[in-house]
Amino acid sequence: MKIVLKTGLIIVAVAMLFTACTPEAHKEIGEARNIVASLEGTWKLSKATQVDEDAAFKGFPTYVTTMDITTIYPYTDFVLKFNLTNGVPSTFTTIPGGSPAIIKLTSGSWTVDDPAFPKVITLTSGSTTEKTTLGGYTVGPNSTLKLKVSKYLFPTPVAGPKLLITYIYEFVKQ
Amino acid sequence: MKKLVYFICLMLAGYAARAQNPVFTPSSFTAQDQVTLTFDVTGTGMAGATDAYLWLWGNAGDSPLNTSWTNSPDAAKMTAAGTNKWSFTFTATVLWGLPAGQLQNFRFLVKKRDGSAQTPDQGPFNFDPLIFTATMLRVFPSKVDVNDLVTVNFDRNYGITTDEQRMTPTTATITMYDDQGIQVGSPVTAPVTKVGDTRWSKSFIPSLIFTPAAGRKLTKFKYKFNGTILDPSGSIVTVSSSEAEITFTVMQ
Repeated sequence: MKIVLKTGLIIVAVAMLFTACTPEAHKEIGEARNIVASLEGTWKLSKATQVDEDAAFKGFPTYVTTMDITTIYPYTDFVLKFNLTNGVPSTFTTIPGGSPAIIKLTSGSWTVDDPAFPKVITLTSGSTTEKTTLGGYTVGPNSTLKLKVSKYLFPTPVAGPKLLITYIYEFVKQ
Repeated sequence: MKKLVYFICLMLAGYAARAQNPVFTPSSFTAQDQVTLTFDVTGTGMAGATDAYLWLWGNAGDSPLNTSWTNSPDAAKMTAAGTNKWSFTFTATVLWGLPAGQLQNFRFLVKKRDGSAQTPDQGPFNFDPLIFTATMLRVFPSKVDVNDLVTVNFDRNYGITTDEQRMTPTTATITMYDDQGIQVGSPVTAPVTKVGDTRWSKSFIPSLIFTPAAGRKLTKFKYKFNGTILDPSGSIVTVSSSEAEITFTVMQ
C-alpha cells in the first residue's frame, strides 16, 4: 500500500514539474518610451533649490549645503515651454514673470545631446547658448521636470573643473 | 596741459592696479592647494626694487620663511612677474608643516632681503575651509557670483561681543564695491528673516540691487546685521554686529 502511495506521489510531483515548465505567453513590451516627447509642453516652476557643491563635497552639515529658495523670490512665476516639430526639439520660450531669470534666453531653439536618452539640453538664441542638465525623466509616475544649472569656477583650475553651485529647478506640467 | 593729462592717466592706472592687488591663482584655494600670489608693489617702498622677498604669517603664526628680518632666506625670494610685480607660489600645509584644519588665514608683505624697504601689510586672506566651523556671520553659498542668490546669515550663538550675543537683528546692511574699490550707490538696509532660534538671514541677488558705473563691475560687498538690545534701564538700544567682507568669485 505504501509503495502504491509513494509511486502515486512521485507521478503527481513529476506531472506538476512538467506543468510548471510550460512556456508562458509574454505580453508585448510596447514601444520604447519617448523621453524627448515627454518634455514637450508648458512647464511652470514649482520648486527651486540652491546647493553649495563645495561645502557638500567637504561633507559640511546640510543646513550649510542646501537651501530651498522657492519663496525668496517669486521663482514659481517662471514658465518654460518646449515645442517639438515632427517629434524633434524645435523652439522654446520662457516667461519669467516676477521670477529672477533662471534662464536668461526668452526664446530660441533647443536641442538635446542624445535623442534617446537626453541628459543635456542646450538652449540657443542667436550666438548665445545656455546649457541645463536633466535631473530625471518625466515618464511614468514621475511628472516633474527637474532641470539643473551648474556653475563652475572660472578660469578653470589646472587640476580640472571645480563645481561650486548647482541650482535645481522643478517644474510641473500645465 | 598734456603733462597734466598724462599725470592723471598715470594716477588712474596706478589706482586701478592697486584695486586688483594682490591677485591669487587660482582665486579660490584651501590650505592644501597650491596658490600663486602676484603682488604689484607700485607706490610702495618696494617700487623699483631689483629683488623681493616674502614675509608671510597668519593665524598659525610666522611661516618658516620669516627667519630673520634683516636676512631673509633664499626660500622666501619672489619671482619677477613684470615691472614692479612679484609672485610667489606656495602650499600652506607644506610651508607651515601643519594640518589644513589649523590654517585659517594668512597675511604677507614684500620686503628687501635686508629689510631696508617693505610694502604695507596685506590681508588677512582666508583659506577655503576644509572643516565646517560655525561662525556668527556666514554667507551662503560660500562662493558667490554677482548673479547668484546670496544669503547672509547671523547666528547669535557665535556672537563675540556682548551686544552681538544679546541683539535681536531686525535689518541687514549691504555695502557694495566695484573693481576699483569704489562704493556702488548707497548701502542697502533691509529687513531680515528669522530662520532659527538664534539665526537670522537676508537674501538678495547683487546684480538686481546694485548697478555699477559704466565699464565697472561689482567685485565685493560688506554686510552687517543691525538690531536691538535692552540696556540696564530697560530702554531699547540699537546696535550692529561687526562687518564681514565677501569678494565675488567669477563663475561660468
